[in-house]
Amino acid sequence: MHEMGIAGSVLDAVHQELQKYPQHRATKVALRIGEFAGVDPDSLQFCFEALVKGTPLEPLELEIEWCRPKDGRRGDELELAHLELEDAQEAVA
Amino acid sequence: MNRVAIERKVLSENDRIAEELRTALNGTDTLSLNFIGSPGAGKTALLERTLESLPRHTRAAVLTGDIQTENDANRLRRYGYPVRQITTGGACHLDARMVETHLRNWIETDLDLLLIENVGNLVCPTSYDLGEDAKVVVLSVAEGEDKPLKYPGIFRKAELMLLTKVDLLPHVPFNPELARENASRIHPEIEIIETSYTTGAGFDRWLNWLASRAERKKAAGKPSGEAVTTA
Repeated sequence: MHEMGIAGSVLDAVHQELQKYPQHRATKVALRIGEFAGVDPDSLQFCFEALVKGTPLEPLELEIEWCRPKDGRRGDELELAHLELEDAQEAVA
Repeated sequence: MNRVAIERKVLSENDRIAEELRTALNGTDTLSLNFIGSPGAGKTALLERTLESLPRHTRAAVLTGDIQTENDANRLRRYGYPVRQITTGGACHLDARMVETHLRNWIETDLDLLLIENVGNLVCPTSYDLGEDAKVVVLSVAEGEDKPLKYPGIFRKAELMLLTKVDLLPHVPFNPELARENASRIHPEIEIIETSYTTGAGFDRWLNWLASRAERKKAAGKPSGEAVTTA
């Protein structure tokens, strides 16, 4: 169940990234996971939702791009890709 | 709505520590191997016979990981080499920080060989770089020939597959050729050695592999990295 640790690392990265955008809140974080990375996407999704629930990041979504070793992909990716942000003031309004 | 690129590894902190470990181990020409296999695959027995068979002058040490108990370290200490148990307390894998912590302030002389026995698990340890030169996957004939297909990540990343307990082949429905074929489908360059702790079969070849891998590292004089192929 190392997916819990990985989910925690993803959230750490989100927190770090948000420090650069103090007027924004994150709505989605996207990952690339290769089929040889040794990570179960369903389990990671479950752990991610469990960690986000009840925190200021809720309802942050996790988007997973599943990578096979072709078209320039290695197949062992476990990488953050991007973060989607919205203006925190607009979100409140 | 704004989209900002992050573009970095999820386990970047682990990878940073692993790279520091790799640099330190390269500085002393220490060959480090990360053994990964299911519980019961024979990792500890393999290391016992390996320690027993190493040339006397070899400066070797072992880190052995388990969720609980010092049992494996106690077994391995009988061979006269420094051994430390890493008890993860529930974690299903070793990470680079655990290795770094357990190596710190431990052995004062430079090592020729550092053997790291991961927690018994074919999935989770695959994701964590420990600063090793190579991952070695351990598969026993008491398992299924299709393990490489079911758990492709570790077979893809491992430089070597050790097929253990081959003395049991007359008694178990295991087809070693099919296992080899499956491993090669996932990782065509993987090397495979059949071994038996009980009879000692294959240990000459395994020890030769160790010696030549250590020589290759010394000759290269630089990080050899992981064995992932870029298809």
